[in-house]
Amino acid sequence: MSVLLFRVDERLIHGQVVVGWARRLRPRRIIVVSDELADDPLEQSIYRTGIPEGIRADFWSEREARAELPAAIDSDEPAFVLTADLGTMSRLAQDGVRIEEINVGGIHRGAGRRRVLPYVSLDADDERLIEELERGGVRVVARDVPTAAAVRLAGRARG
Amino acid sequence: MTGRCGVVVGHGRAAEGLLSALTQVAGEQPNLWAVSNQGRGGDELEAEILRLLDAHCAGRDAYLLSDMDGGSCGQACRRLLAQGRVRAVLFGVNLPLLVEFAFLPELPSDQFVTVAVEKSRKALGAHP
Repeated sequence: MSVLLFRVDERLIHGQVVVGWARRLRPRRIIVVSDELADDPLEQSIYRTGIPEGIRADFWSEREARAELPAAIDSDEPAFVLTADLGTMSRLAQDGVRIEEINVGGIHRGAGRRRVLPYVSLDADDERLIEELERGGVRVVARDVPTAAAVRLAGRARG
Repeated sequence: MTGRCGVVVGHGRAAEGLLSALTQVAGEQPNLWAVSNQGRGGDELEAEILRLLDAHCAGRDAYLLSDMDGGSCGQACRRLLAQGRVRAVLFGVNLPLLVEFAFLPELPSDQFVTVAVEKSRKALGAHP
């Protein structure tokens, strides 16, 4: 298993990922799974500005990810896999991508969302997905940076 | 009001702290505002920057000054630049850059950026 981190963070590639996590875990590849970004060269170029030397980035649609991720996971190239929302990551897990733990790094405020941590706000769909993922054996933990304690999100969703 | 107007965008309290430092050495700053990304998603951060630009920088030469390129702050700044909302984005903002922002005379945008960045670069150093 060469994927060091499966992370849900609406900011995708940003400071916590390229400084906090990448300096600690040393990935050589960052794979962003997003149907929107896969077809948006301008946004890709903006995200690429934050990628340190020695790390390459791929922007895959969900369809591409379903086809390509198994090989990436089996390769010896350490990688991060990022999605902007729990739904996308959950669909990857449902489609057979081997995920033991999902790191939730940032889901911010929005209509219908309830704040459970300063950097995590969940809506009813998120809560349902977390329960389904946990039932399927996938741990879902919030942890913005490696020096923070991991917080299991199951059971915290409903206050 | 005419002239330069800027929003400092930073992680944590970086922007607020830099502006506080500038105020300490140079007095009140009527042309600069600070925004933090803390607790804000990308859309919220962009919206807050836009709110300040609309409130204070309409019709003026607006600039964004971000603590780091590539992070969420830098990304928000680049998106607003792509939308034509500001003249330029200056990355890696430090106190000397803010001093230049506050005190350089009015210049065409490209000249201002060149001079300000060069002066802030020269301020970096180490001894011995």
